Amino acid sequence: MNSSEVYRRVVGVVCRVLNVDGSLVEPESHFVFDLGAESTQSIQLVAGFEAEFGIEIDAEAALGVQTVGAAVDFIAQQLKDKG
Amino acid sequence: MSGPPSAPEVAAVPDVGGARAGRMEAGAERLRPIFAPRSVAVLGVTATPNTVPYDIFYNILSSGYQGTLFPVAPGKKSICAVQAYRYVLDIEDPVDLAVVVFPADVVDRALEQCGKKGIRGVIVISAGFREMGAKGQAREERLEAVCREYGMAMIGPNCLGVINTDSAVRLNASFARKMPAAGRIAFLSQSGALCTAVLDYAREKQIGFSKFVSFGNKAGVTEIDLFEYLRNDPQTDVILLYLEELREGRRLIEAAQQVTRGEHPKPILAIKSGRTPQGADAAASHTGSLAGEDAICDAVFREAGILRVASIEELFNAAILYTNQPLPAGNRLAIVTNAGGPGVMATDAAIRVGLRVPRLAEASMARLRGVLPAAANVKNPVDVIGDARADRYTAALEAVLDDPNVDEVLVILTPQSMTDIEAIAHGVCGIYRQAGKPIACSFMGAADVGRGIRLLQEAGIPHYILPEWACEAMARVQSIRQWRAQPVGDADRLPVDAPAVRAILQRAPEGYLDEDQALAVLAAYGLPVPPHLLCSSPAEAVAFAEAHGYPATLRVVSPQIVHKSEVKGVALDLGDAGMVRAAFERMRRYLSAAAPRAEIRGLLVRRMIPAGHELILGTKCDPAFGPTVMFGLGGIYVELFQDVTFGLAPLGRATAARMIRQVRAGRLLEGLRGAPRADIENVEQCLVRLGQLAADFPRIVELDINPLIAGPAEAGNAVADVRIRLAPRNDSFENPETEKTREQQ
Repeated sequence: MNSSEVYRRVVGVVCRVLNVDGSLVEPESHFVFDLGAESTQSIQLVAGFEAEFGIEIDAEAALGVQTVGAAVDFIAQQLKDKG
Repeated sequence: MSGPPSAPEVAAVPDVGGARAGRMEAGAERLRPIFAPRSVAVLGVTATPNTVPYDIFYNILSSGYQGTLFPVAPGKKSICAVQAYRYVLDIEDPVDLAVVVFPADVVDRALEQCGKKGIRGVIVISAGFREMGAKGQAREERLEAVCREYGMAMIGPNCLGVINTDSAVRLNASFARKMPAAGRIAFLSQSGALCTAVLDYAREKQIGFSKFVSFGNKAGVTEIDLFEYLRNDPQTDVILLYLEELREGRRLIEAAQQVTRGEHPKPILAIKSGRTPQGADAAASHTGSLAGEDAICDAVFREAGILRVASIEELFNAAILYTNQPLPAGNRLAIVTNAGGPGVMATDAAIRVGLRVPRLAEASMARLRGVLPAAANVKNPVDVIGDARADRYTAALEAVLDDPNVDEVLVILTPQSMTDIEAIAHGVCGIYRQAGKPIACSFMGAADVGRGIRLLQEAGIPHYILPEWACEAMARVQSIRQWRAQPVGDADRLPVDAPAVRAILQRAPEGYLDEDQALAVLAAYGLPVPPHLLCSSPAEAVAFAEAHGYPATLRVVSPQIVHKSEVKGVALDLGDAGMVRAAFERMRRYLSAAAPRAEIRGLLVRRMIPAGHELILGTKCDPAFGPTVMFGLGGIYVELFQDVTFGLAPLGRATAARMIRQVRAGRLLEGLRGAPRADIENVEQCLVRLGQLAADFPRIVELDINPLIAGPAEAGNAVADVRIRLAPRNDSFENPETEKTREQQ
């Protein structure tokens, strides 16, 4: 899966979970500061990404992922490691 | 050597008080956007009730805030039906105050936007800063930098928020459950959690607040800034403070004195918790080990006019008495009670805390005999007897209030079968309004007296479950009265030979000064150092002793020997030349075996000081508060009794006199059981001179005179032993403030 496909699907999860318009989402968007993610929604986001991409995300590692772009990179790496 | 600076040089400092007041005014103005904002934005609001971000917004909305409120909630259209904004920069109207509830890692970004928006006040509720370690500390420093850059006043981070009950503002920018009632007390707290407990407690006791501030990590606004604001706050009569960490002792004193003195003084009562080992660790001297942060905090508070109490109960007990009553003219208490035991307990408590329970005037006792049954006690405490009803209480209360020997009254009630509690409460309420003297009540019990207590509280009459608490509160208010009557203790400057000390210190390395050098330092500052001589031979020592008289003492002087008695480096009570010679030889032999590597600079001979009271006088240069002076009981009692007190250097004679009176050693000096009075004035002067020395030479890390022997006044005082520890040689230890003075001397 190429990175633009990952980005498109990440944005889809973000819009669905956070209930925000896709036009607000950019690679630099911070989940909390720009998109208003509440603490429970952060957990839902991780679960959403796991389901969307069929991967398991380590909770500790997920803490460091704070922007949409960082999530895309993180997931792309996970997919690559998975083969 | 010459005298103190001449008058013109002192007068050359223009209008210090005015400049200080102006600076404080500017400081107070800086906080106006926090306490009286025309508009507030809450940054990071969520849509989930019972979360801090939501509750903060909801509390402002529901508390009747008189300005305009903007929720900044990215991704949300509205919060509680109020249009939401994605960023604070999207708000078109001006915003005075931002309340930030974003998670810690994005608070700096939020503050950046606040700065760009032109916001002047911010409250950062979020936690996750200095209290979380190094990473949090770095985050907090970033917030400080942003606030500095944009000139924003910041409360927090890591705090509960701010409440202003002023009807023109009505701001509850906190996550406290309820807005407190309006009142005359400002409560400031470094602990947010304590705030919620205090609000709950106050609601139960019907205590209102003017301002309620949780200032958390105090990265921006501190208690000092808040003092400056509250000093002129027309809604505030008294300030209560809970403090965990005291950082700027000198500034605190300056700001607090402006509040607690002056034309419209307001008392400050404080709880200071939390101790740091900073002052005590690695301290070799007595002064060093006793001068913990807490002891110095006491000194700072005393100097500032802040009354230190130990519990929340004490804090409010005194505050409700002060805010609801006139200040008493004196400390003479009359007690009116319907039960003998509580009356006696209250009398004991009153005397223990320094109040007087005087005999009533004859006319008052005659008046009481006319209205009370024969079995009643018309002396103070006035016992109206267990079957007393409201008429008897009222008559007795009026009689003692009219007594010229009475300054304040405590009404005690125990619920007995004949006691018409509510009628008595009504009676007290009726008299209280015209009394002109403070009245406190103690309706003892819980269930039966509950309604009566409620009536008293509604009328603003201070009530205490225990009479002892009432007495303690009255004693605190007495302290407020005494503080205002006390002259301002500006530091005195006495003539000293500072260049001599400077010369000694310039030559001396880090560590302990040799005793002869330490004595020279003290002598240069006018301390009573007895004649002495550093000798290198028995003949020299004998010649000195012959000239100055016997018995003589010998003490080894060596940079390597700090504890002389451990190496038998002290010989006392040497009655003639033969004894001096023998002791000299014996000590020299012993030292060459016991301390072969020590460089022996000689033996110090002097006439033995006659017995007297052993005192300890010391100084310590505290990293946070600068030079301090210690006084107390010396000799072997230092550790046992720890009967010591501290003052901030430099200090004046009035402060020195107070320090002496504060400890038991002071009473000894007055002459107990027929013993002669010591030269207390000289001890005062010694403390002033030591303060001057410590302030002039911050390189003196610790100084211990232990003991200073205080004999009868005609014999005078004498330094028996001294240790001075120096910091490394470094230009930064020169005190520029005193440099000019030294040059003038």
